[in-house]
Amino acid sequence: MANTVIGSSIVIDGEISGEEDLIIQGTVKGRIVLKENVYIEESGIVEADIETSNIEVSGQVTGNIVATDKVEITAGGRAVGDIKAPRILIADGAIFKGNVDMDV
Amino acid sequence: MNEPITIIGTDTVVSGNLEGDEDLTIEGRVEGSISLSKTLTIEAGGVVRANINVRNAIISGVLVGNIEAQESVHLTEQGRVVGDISAPRVILVDGASFRGNIDMGDIDVDAAPQTTRTRSRAAAPARATEEPTAAEEAAPVRMRRPVPVRTPAKPAEKPAAQPAAKAAAPAPAARPLPQKVLNKKIPPAPKVRAVGKAKAKKKS
Repeated sequence: MANTVIGSSIVIDGEISGEEDLIIQGTVKGRIVLKENVYIEESGIVEADIETSNIEVSGQVTGNIVATDKVEITAGGRAVGDIKAPRILIADGAIFKGNVDMDV
Repeated sequence: MNEPITIIGTDTVVSGNLEGDEDLTIEGRVEGSISLSKTLTIEAGGVVRANINVRNAIISGVLVGNIEAQESVHLTEQGRVVGDISAPRVILVDGASFRGNIDMGDIDVDAAPQTTRTRSRAAAPARATEEPTAAEEAAPVRMRRPVPVRTPAKPAEKPAAQPAAKAAAPAPAARPLPQKVLNKKIPPAPKVRAVGKAKAKKKS
């Protein structure tokens, strides 16, 4: 229960930071800085720059993503912005527009 | 998982505006503003520095800021609030700490006494018509009460005597408290201050 959940009808305009998993079902605008996993679920809408270790996008993201470990865009996911991470997974059916930097 | 519940976990900090139509539980930190149409719960350990507008609030953590609730604000024994509370129902339990104003809306403070007064006045006229002429100069008619009259032969004396007695025994006015009580009331040093820590710092 140590997770943070942003429910589907919640709108946050500002910054979220922390050291635990974050599950987004609602709307977040601004900035997300995390040391753990970010899950953007189907109903989640994020208009923010994101810094985290792991992120899984099943909803919509507009903004740049920097991950220290992995970025995954699932089949239902939609991302617009630049992604920088050592591992990047884009599933079949996912929508993505932007730059990818795997630090090669 | 389907019912919408939002949790700000212990190690999460949110700064900015937070609004929504579902219950919100805060175990971590939130700074900015919160606007909800449901219930806000600040758990023990949760720290909120925000102006809040919700339907219900249950506060077991720390809140610095003003809170406005459509229904109720409940401060539990672990709750600490600095700010103003505005809600029709405000519950402060034993152990809760609070500093600020509480506004429960328009309260008719005179409501209860007024009803009794009008009732006794309504009963009076029956007697007032009986003996007005003789008493008129001696005392205002209003002051008379429906007291059983033992000597109907001298009706004029009664009303005159009664107001005088009333004046002699005034309502117990707000007397200054005895010094003992005043001294007692001085609160002990606030427990919140981390005196120990400060000392420890100086030593090192």
